Amino acid sequence: MRHESVPIYWRNIPHYYRLVARRCKRCGAVYFPPVAKCRCGSTELENVELPREGRLVEYTVLHQVGTDFLKQKPLIVGLVELSNGVRVAGQIVDAQPDKLAPGAKMEVVFRRVIADGKHGLVMYGYKFRPVGGI
Amino acid sequence: MKDVFLAGAALYQAGRHYGKNIDDIAAEVLDKALSDAKADIDALFVASSTTELANKQQILGAYVLEALGLDKIPVYRVENGDGSGGAAVALAYHALRSEEHNCVAVVGVDKPNDVLSNQQQDIYAATLDTYFERYFGITPLSYAALMAKMYLKKYEYKYEDLAQWAVLMHSHGAGNPYAYFRRQIKLEDAVNSEVVSEPLRLYDIGPLADGAAAAVLCNSRKEGPRILSVATSTNTAAFNLRPDYDTLYSLNEAARRAFEKAKITPRDVATAEVHDSFSIFGVLAVESLGLVRRGGALAAMKDGDLPVNLSGGFKSRGNMLGAAGVYQLVEVAWQLIGREFRRVDGSYGVVHSMGGVDKVSTVVVVGV
Ligand SMILES: [Zn+2]
Repeated sequence: MRHESVPIYWRNIPHYYRLVARRCKRCGAVYFPPVAKCRCGSTELENVELPREGRLVEYTVLHQVGTDFLKQKPLIVGLVELSNGVRVAGQIVDAQPDKLAPGAKMEVVFRRVIADGKHGLVMYGYKFRPVGGI
Repeated sequence: MKDVFLAGAALYQAGRHYGKNIDDIAAEVLDKALSDAKADIDALFVASSTTELANKQQILGAYVLEALGLDKIPVYRVENGDGSGGAAVALAYHALRSEEHNCVAVVGVDKPNDVLSNQQQDIYAATLDTYFERYFGITPLSYAALMAKMYLKKYEYKYEDLAQWAVLMHSHGAGNPYAYFRRQIKLEDAVNSEVVSEPLRLYDIGPLADGAAAAVLCNSRKEGPRILSVATSTNTAAFNLRPDYDTLYSLNEAARRAFEKAKITPRDVATAEVHDSFSIFGVLAVESLGLVRRGGALAAMKDGDLPVNLSGGFKSRGNMLGAAGVYQLVEVAWQLIGREFRRVDGSYGVVHSMGGVDKVSTVVVVGV
């Protein structure tokens, strides 16, 4: 959306930069996006960083995008299952779509998400790429 | 508790209404519905998804009443994204059942064409988790594409099978005087349309359209289509943490409750209007509603017509976002009594209104 909010971006940096999730101390369930209460009922959750490797579950090449992504389109949007079993959705980069396939080894990379032209604010976050490149 | 009847209704032609403001089309359709009902209302529920973002208006209900000179009536805005319409119907129904009000109007309205198509993408993406999904460029279309890809693989269908949904919708919508695209299409048209998020093509998307629908509901009538039950449910699993990708959980639960309260089963349903903003959602809705078995919707379409989305659905009637659920209610009611639509053979109809990608669903059972 034209001109993202700086406070919103700032407060979400731990999640965007380091994939900080919430893990239940009682049952071990991991939530990303973070939640306030575990489905087991416990409110004792701790921050954990998600692992940086996983496998591709499924992906699509998206041609209709919002105003912030016009210069980047098409976007590859995928679902990746990380090595601890937690799935995360996000953009896939450094990949040729027709060479991607479910099961492909993926790794987390840190990339520019939005370059806000008018105010010059550049915002970053996690994306995924195939291990070793394709 | 008193029964709730549809006393009157009106639909606005779906389209691009560049010459009118959002309160203009809402007031016009409400005025028609009030004349149709020959009743005064004591509350107005306005369902709208994007009045702030697309039309730069809040408290829309008050400006709608201002246009009609209706003073001192309480107004309530209901926003559940593209499922706003169903949610507003639910609240109106409860207000009448509790006898807090005797006659209320529900107006569903949205004018997405007040902004450019990429801004529409921004707005629609705000129905997802704005910090963890929209921020990264994810849109409802891309999630629908992932779900379609997984569904086609799991149940061993070809893309051509899915493309039949658009063909069926256009064949139904050709008979809907209020539809955005009122014409038949061929399978080749769908299969050869541009890829928007593979496997989905342009004809898998219900085009966003400006529209408004109004329903006047009263608890003092004794005739006409009756709302037998309403149920709303929410799916709180994040898309990435869903147990599976071919169940609409919000719908599943809302349907279970709505059928139970109405004391009918899916077998009794003569007509259903389901939320098919993307073809795959219509397919999944038919299954999660219990009308056909899991994985069986596309096979059922091959075997013959499905009495689903006789309006043409989002593909042919159009996707009027927060207004859609109110359109659907009026369409189902009118199909049951043969007004404006061909009369269906049966006594029960069902509405499925959904917000976001399976975030929240409302199911309304209508009977005559
Ligand atoms: Zn727990």
